[in-house]
Amino acid sequence: MPPDPDNAASQAITVDSLVKKFGSREVLHGVSFGIEKGSVFGVIGPNGAGKTTVMRCLLDIIRPNAGTLTVLGQNPRTAGPALRRRIGYLPGELFLEGRITGRRLLSHYADISGPVRPGRVDALAERLGLDLDRHTRKLSKGNKQKLGLVQAFMHDPELLVLDEPTSGLDPLVQQEFLTMVREAQANGQTVFLSSHVLSEVQQAADQVAILRDGRIITVATVDSLREGAVRHVRFTAAGISAADAGALLAGVPGIGHLEVLPAGDGVGLSATLGGAIQPLLRVLATLQLTDLVLEEPDLEESVLELYGTIRGNGNGGTNRGGRRSRKGHGA
Amino acid sequence: MSKPLPLFTRAFVDSWRSTLGWAAGLAATIFIYLPLYPSVGGSPEMQAVMDAFPPEMIKALNYDQITSGPGYTQATMFGLIGFLLMTIAAVAWGAAAVGGDEESGQLELTLAHGVTRTQVVLERALAMLLRVLLLVALVFVLIRLLTDSAQLNIRPENLFGASVLFAGLTMLSGSTALFAGAVTGRKTYGLAAGAGVGVLGYVFNAVGRQSGDVDWLLNLSPYSWAYGNNPLANGADWAAGGWLWGISAVLVALSAAALSRRDVGTYG
Repeated sequence: MPPDPDNAASQAITVDSLVKKFGSREVLHGVSFGIEKGSVFGVIGPNGAGKTTVMRCLLDIIRPNAGTLTVLGQNPRTAGPALRRRIGYLPGELFLEGRITGRRLLSHYADISGPVRPGRVDALAERLGLDLDRHTRKLSKGNKQKLGLVQAFMHDPELLVLDEPTSGLDPLVQQEFLTMVREAQANGQTVFLSSHVLSEVQQAADQVAILRDGRIITVATVDSLREGAVRHVRFTAAGISAADAGALLAGVPGIGHLEVLPAGDGVGLSATLGGAIQPLLRVLATLQLTDLVLEEPDLEESVLELYGTIRGNGNGGTNRGGRRSRKGHGA
Repeated sequence: MSKPLPLFTRAFVDSWRSTLGWAAGLAATIFIYLPLYPSVGGSPEMQAVMDAFPPEMIKALNYDQITSGPGYTQATMFGLIGFLLMTIAAVAWGAAAVGGDEESGQLELTLAHGVTRTQVVLERALAMLLRVLLLVALVFVLIRLLTDSAQLNIRPENLFGASVLFAGLTMLSGSTALFAGAVTGRKTYGLAAGAGVGVLGYVFNAVGRQSGDVDWLLNLSPYSWAYGNNPLANGADWAAGGWLWGISAVLVALSAAALSRRDVGTYG
């Protein structure tokens, strides 16, 4: 489906039928998606799915074999340095070596990117708790990541392309990062970020694309993922037999994984709910509940179902910090 | 862009420690070897020692002129230790400029900014050139300073010509390293290619000088192009200088073309 020209003007990024091969190995098999200007768009997928490859194509670090890319209205392959000045990029694996302080390194990147407002670098560094006067090679992974974020945000680019931005950050700094993303959005900037776990993306993103084995499985809003997501329900009720309770619950649409155990003079019951809450509540209201837990929807679980992988095979939300393949052929 | 040549500035300024280190090494070599000339190279005993060595070895080491001031300076400084130090420095810089930077993962971030790949190669090659010129200028100045006290008897214009050839020979190895790094994205290949040009040039010269049957090897030796006619004694062969500098310039241009035409950071 070619990008609609009317649409193109309102889109910060349009990717159409993107194919990328490394040698004979095809790693992207025709990826298409669009990102509205001023939105926050997340792409999630397991390591090796092709997230980093898509992002590198947007920056013209690697070149597609087929398909069209439009970034801020231009083809990154031919637009040249002027386009990249309007983008802030955080690579998936950040290597900062050399005997140079963070401040001097950022000043160098400011020289080869868009103009940076005075005081902007210090303000960002202070928010993230980064010491700019230390040599970069002595920084911890988390602090290098902060330096990478300052580098991406400092010139207030129209588009931010952030590959695994929260990797290595502690939870407090992750929250600060989310605030920075929201501010960027309020400022009219577009944010494209990736992660291999949904929980990092869901708080920031309006829309999420799920990428697996070089294909987009789905593009959905976080809200619609949430609607389709599975909740866990547990309750105990008095004055009812296990068989009756089981029969009652089995009649509720979307109930699965139903387990009923006798407990005292009543029952203990756990199940998953994949649909609306209201029908369940109507049934529950007829019972003498002694306890009730209705959990928040677990997006991770619903996404894993879309991946087509089962939790526990080490290929989903449980492998944070696990295998991270080397650049390029990796994510 | 707030400053001109930002990549050149960073490559040049951030390596000042390394540049200073090589300068110290070259200066030390000059101060150790050259003042010894009157008591070693210029002494009658030296000629006797030389006569006792096999002539093949004398030729391989370029010691055939060692009893003259220019020959001694050529054999010790321009032809041996200086050649070795400068080649190592330039090969290291050339291999690091693109291949090393890519391999360490840092080139990707630089290229994501408002620069072209050609600009990256040209500015970094310029930084390498300036460092080579500074070091060779230091060599020139120090030898000039020692010429009288060490009785070297080198004419200034010949010293200048030899220095230009010395710098060109160094840049040929450095730009070969740059080129191999730009083609492959690997520092190791850059180091191997740059060092290969230096070492093979030296070996072809040493072997080629042995007899008329193998003197065609001299045509393949940049070392022989530069030093074949004893520039310190006889003046520079400027055509050879043109080849050294010309090929270096072509290699830099090819490096820019190679880097512009490929994916970055995708080797296995």
